[in-house]
Amino acid sequence: MRGKTLLAAMLLTGTMLTAGCDQAERTLFGKQSEADIKQTAYPERVYWGDTHLHTANSVDAFGFGNRLAPEEALRFAQGQEVTSTNGLKAKLDRPLDFLVISDHAEGLGSTKALYDAPRMMISDPQMLRWYDMMHKGPAQSVVAMGEILKARGNGTMPAALNDPVKGKERTAKIWRGHIDTVEKYNHPGKFTAFLGFEYTLMQGGNNLHRNVIFRDGGDKVGQIEPLDPTTELWPDKLYDYMDAYEQKTGGKVLAIPHNSNLSNGLMFMLTEPNGGPLTAASAKRRAAREPIVEITQIKGDSEAHPFLSPNDEFSGYGTAGWDKNNLLGTQPTKPGDYAGSYVREALKRGMQIEAKTGENPYKFGLIGSTDSHTSLATGDDNNFFGKHAGVEPNNHRAKDDFVPGANSGKMNWQSLASGYAAVWATANTRSALWDALQRREVYATTGPRMVVRFFAGWDFTSADLSGDWVKAGYTRGVPMGGQLAAKAGAKPSFLISALKDPIGANLDRVQVVKGWVDKAGQSHEKVFDVVWSNADTRKQAGGKLAPVGDTVDTATATYQNTIGAPTLTTVWTDPEFDPTARAFYYLRVLEIPTPTWVAYDMVRFKVALGAEIPLKQQERAYTSPIWFTPS
Amino acid sequence: MNWRNGAAHLLREPIVHFLIAGALVFALMSGRAPDLGERRIVVNEALVSRLANRWTESFRRAPSQEELDGLIAEYVRDQVYYREALSLGLDQDDEVVMRRMRNKMLALATSDVEAATPSDAELQKLIDKDPARYAAEVTYSFDQLYLGAESPAARAKAAEALKLLQAGQSADRFAQPAPIPSNYSQNAASDVAAVFGGPFADSLLGLPLGQWTGPVSSGLGLHVVRVAARSNPARPELEKVRQQVTNDWHNSARQRAEEAAYRKVLANYDVVIEQPK
Repeated sequence: MRGKTLLAAMLLTGTMLTAGCDQAERTLFGKQSEADIKQTAYPERVYWGDTHLHTANSVDAFGFGNRLAPEEALRFAQGQEVTSTNGLKAKLDRPLDFLVISDHAEGLGSTKALYDAPRMMISDPQMLRWYDMMHKGPAQSVVAMGEILKARGNGTMPAALNDPVKGKERTAKIWRGHIDTVEKYNHPGKFTAFLGFEYTLMQGGNNLHRNVIFRDGGDKVGQIEPLDPTTELWPDKLYDYMDAYEQKTGGKVLAIPHNSNLSNGLMFMLTEPNGGPLTAASAKRRAAREPIVEITQIKGDSEAHPFLSPNDEFSGYGTAGWDKNNLLGTQPTKPGDYAGSYVREALKRGMQIEAKTGENPYKFGLIGSTDSHTSLATGDDNNFFGKHAGVEPNNHRAKDDFVPGANSGKMNWQSLASGYAAVWATANTRSALWDALQRREVYATTGPRMVVRFFAGWDFTSADLSGDWVKAGYTRGVPMGGQLAAKAGAKPSFLISALKDPIGANLDRVQVVKGWVDKAGQSHEKVFDVVWSNADTRKQAGGKLAPVGDTVDTATATYQNTIGAPTLTTVWTDPEFDPTARAFYYLRVLEIPTPTWVAYDMVRFKVALGAEIPLKQQERAYTSPIWFTPS
Repeated sequence: MNWRNGAAHLLREPIVHFLIAGALVFALMSGRAPDLGERRIVVNEALVSRLANRWTESFRRAPSQEELDGLIAEYVRDQVYYREALSLGLDQDDEVVMRRMRNKMLALATSDVEAATPSDAELQKLIDKDPARYAAEVTYSFDQLYLGAESPAARAKAAEALKLLQAGQSADRFAQPAPIPSNYSQNAASDVAAVFGGPFADSLLGLPLGQWTGPVSSGLGLHVVRVAARSNPARPELEKVRQQVTNDWHNSARQRAEEAAYRKVLANYDVVIEQPK
């Protein structure tokens, strides 16, 4: 009897304790839960973020000198001032609305562990050498990391650094700490901190990397650990992991490939890894798992290449240097590789595969992100903290090799201060933003925050541009990322609107990039200038529009908004529409020329650089496509 | 455990190594010379098992007697060289040693902060220092008429449009086509800033309610504006912002701890800087 009472009392106390905890948790967090946040009926504003940021927990970021933890990364993204690894005060002009810290799962925290280890415990002479170099300071640390990356590429890493058992323990520990931090900084309605990691899939130095982003919080994501990559060509092991996560937790997860430009044609293949034609099952699985591709970042722009798009005079943006060889510089890139490396071609390939199999593996939306390894998500040219801690602002970074000692032919000045992800969501919460990524209602920019809308329908006219036209877009059409259902006897019309970044440059023009597949299965592309600034003086001749002009003064790294337009809008109907051909349409919005980050560096540090280094550029936005499939 | 706790934890693991080095550094930094007359090296049982355990951890098996003897001999060799090197001052001007010692001192100084829990009074103090940071955002309801990019002509049109609107008449004929609504209802300041730019959102704060005024400059150009309503955000309540303010407290406490620890030891030094002429 007494025992029973005691047990009952314990149970009761237990229950009360649990109830107490629930209450304590609500007040302890002292913030609204996602469920409390009001969602709008349709996306009314665009949210800005970075889906690809590394902190000192990334094996290479730490090696390159980064000493800033995820906490600093989150504070910086929220608009707080932080001190960079090299002691510079760093702050964003405007906060971001969301952030994904995507530290490399592979060797998570291992460079830091090496650094923190007692020196006497390191017996491998190579590791000892790197250990000492890292402790000597940033410059030596960068060289050490270059050697570590090279060793990884050549498969000559010291066994002790790759110890799987210790690595797993370390990963689990860091992952738990990371989840704690991210949960503390996730602030529904104000700032979304996603949980995620980078799956650094690589084959022979070819970049097949993916960022993995969870829709859920630590209660679900804490049940699993990030996945170590292998070396397969097609990320089936990652998809298995994603399936297993969703089955185990009831959560949701998606993956975003990046730097297809450094994949030597392997990112968007037409074939199965064994050489046969891509099957419907593979295509379907990939499309379901990878609804988004990162099209632009510091390591170049992957939209289009002049070799593939010779008639597009804007196709070479951010390709120089990155198109010479693969990520680790272990294999040269051949012209035949380009088609599998660039996004526009992939969108065309996807429709070709769909024509044969009924499934489109490359039906993806587009975002930009930084891939910064400094913990600082900087995407603006006048505030660019570089790819890693070794290239934070200094007077020589522009001229240095991208990876010191690698001799890859890629130079720092070829880096872009790019980019950000723009997401049309109904609230600033994990679920609302993630769902927008999943439905591809997103766009990429190379850094500037221009506001871009794109709807397709069958009956839009210029009258629709007045009044509540956004609502019309949603009710009578589909937004970017959508699929336009076929309609007999009509031509698709598009509602198009672009606003300049309110603290940035005017707009030059808006273009529609169209791709289609003809009856013979051949793919085609065409770029239409659909609305442009200074239209009274700028006319089209021979299918080309006169350039917008140039107000950049490189001596002072400034430009004037005396050319271009603050807003550009139009309703456009495809004059060459073929109701029997599969097609996609996406927007490319170009700014007027502005100084590159190198130009700002030259002024800031009073350095002279060679004439081969471009000091002006036209920054841009790429929207997710809208697809048309014949009935 | 967060990132820094992890570092502090790792740091504590090689406790002997750490204590010896730490004691020496403390002694050095507090201005007392270490007793280098200490010529006794004791490898006691505890140390031997620690060496053996570390081996086991690395190699996943226990060391043989021969291997253990080797570890002990290495330990003694390290100790002898370490002490001799210190007595010769070889640690001076060695960047590796200096940076390593500095990092250990920093981790020591901040390891307690990570685990600390601030009191409500401390958190409230932080809120009171910058209430705007923790308050809900101001929201605006306003009408705007867009006159295009900044130019003398646009300014002239703005003046005319303003006259009409103030007289209760339509000024739509001056409106430049733009994909922005003419009416905004209860939009947060950051939403307004995302489209019009921060300065425009700021300027709404100072405008009279219910009257057409302008022109007001935005990132897009010139507007005439009528602010219909402005929310007056309530004083932030600790319970609603506890997480945010706790994050901030930890962040600033860490910085303060680092700085205070440095100031404390710095006070024992005379720092003389002679700039080259």
